[in-house]
Amino acid sequence: MKQSASRTHGQLLYFAGIDIGSTMTKVVLTDESGNLLAVIKGHTGPEHRRLANEVMQQALDRARLSIGDISYIVATGYGRLNVPFADRQITELSCHARGVSSLFANVRTAIDIGGQDAKCMKITGGKLIDFVMNDRCAAGTGRFLEVTAATLGIRLEDMGDISLKATKKVKISSMCTIFAQQEVVALLSQGEKPENILAGLHDALASRVAALARRLGLEPDVVLTGGVAKNAGMVRAMRESLECEILIPGDPLITGALGAAILANEAYTKAAAAGSALPVKPRRLQEATFYGQEQT
Amino acid sequence: MSWSMGIDIGSAYSKGVITRDFDLAASHIILSGANYRASAEAIRAELIANAGLNPSDVTHAAATGSGADNVPFATRKVSDIVCTARGTNHVFPRARTVIDIGSQSARVVKLDEEGTVTNFTISERCAAGSGRFVEVIANVLRVNLNDFSSLAARSKNPITFSTGCAVFGESEAITRVSEDVPKEDIAAGVNKALAGKISSLVKKLKLEQPCAVCGGGALNAALITAIEEELHTKLLVPLQPQLVTAIGAAIIAATSAISESGQH
Repeated sequence: MKQSASRTHGQLLYFAGIDIGSTMTKVVLTDESGNLLAVIKGHTGPEHRRLANEVMQQALDRARLSIGDISYIVATGYGRLNVPFADRQITELSCHARGVSSLFANVRTAIDIGGQDAKCMKITGGKLIDFVMNDRCAAGTGRFLEVTAATLGIRLEDMGDISLKATKKVKISSMCTIFAQQEVVALLSQGEKPENILAGLHDALASRVAALARRLGLEPDVVLTGGVAKNAGMVRAMRESLECEILIPGDPLITGALGAAILANEAYTKAAAAGSALPVKPRRLQEATFYGQEQT
Repeated sequence: MSWSMGIDIGSAYSKGVITRDFDLAASHIILSGANYRASAEAIRAELIANAGLNPSDVTHAAATGSGADNVPFATRKVSDIVCTARGTNHVFPRARTVIDIGSQSARVVKLDEEGTVTNFTISERCAAGSGRFVEVIANVLRVNLNDFSSLAARSKNPITFSTGCAVFGESEAITRVSEDVPKEDIAAGVNKALAGKISSLVKKLKLEQPCAVCGGGALNAALITAIEEELHTKLLVPLQPQLVTAIGAAIIAATSAISESGQH
């Protein structure tokens, strides 16, 4: 059944990139010309990390393809080793650099702020030249906003817009996310307005990420990606902290998965041109396992 | 006879003692809450009642801790480092180093035979270097803090946290729970992680023995054992480690009472 499905799509080749981030799992399906056929985002969560197969299935359904139709699959992100049906694992740095370059040809600096890390990448001619990252301290990542939004009782997706209503920025003195959480409670009890506290929180995160980026040397064009790039307050705070213009992709969450799909396409095409075929995993969607006992 | 009071307003708990001629006469501990001033007043009332005194009997009171500014009845304010050293000297006169494990900081203080501070270092920027890390993980494990130590002590295979951040550590603990890792191994893992951070703080100052511990974190016996293993030394643990700094404050208050009466 699956075999015949691939034939009904003619000779077109299809590629998939799957990016398992700490917060969201993203899948991008493309054809061999790089056209986007499906873009699916699902929550990762501790329990769902192994359910990458479900997000992949949704993407296949959207593109009306089956897993057997996909010529090559690249997994990236911190959960990339938990994808049993991926043919190759590539670091998220390479995938982000590739994905961002495909959208912004002149990018020299890419900053990705995720739920669990922040990465600054130096890119020349679409290639990753150098990078710095913080995955050691939550206060320099999107998690800082996640935790403090929860403390304020504000939905993560609303906090950016609310912060833009601030009449002043309340300085947050705590370095640590957990201590900042406590500071927010104290500030609220002192009668500070949530929007002013939020502006201060955005500023605190932006200045930490900007300090990270400056270690690489900041060269335009600067592109901001990751879930945090969807937050308008954070984009403004980053512009102020970096003192430069910042470009944002239409969908800042998917650059890693997009880069993975592009790299899948390139690897496959290169091997085919050399007359060889890349080894692929069995085309069977299954849950990830953590202990390896079910992996064959 | 001279009565003195020491009030230590910490980020999590507020501690108070009354001493009579340098001996502990009454003690009281409450959650600091949002209103430090109210907590200080509540402790004072309780202490005076416990000791069977009238408010006017206690002529000198010293305030210390992060909320020391919120003790309106204090006759003086003293740095918590100084109070910890003085209190430690009172409880363990031979101690030359003390590790204070609080909810929001870890501090290492070196002291001489008179209880005077000779050097100190503080870790207060990161929750993973304070007792808070244990509180965060206890919450994930749904374990009462009082039961945390005995839980951790049952572990034969402590996990190693891949992160030095309490927020990421919290997520990691949640993941481990979902993978059916025994709770005791996670509890012992956080003790091990915190013990590592505290030990490197001690090593920065160079350990001088004997070394004592104090602060609420010292109630976590399994944590103390983990620090002992890291430092390869036995630690002195007071019966009521949370009170040490407040005792130091009370003794400093009593000392100033004596010197003032000497001047008259």
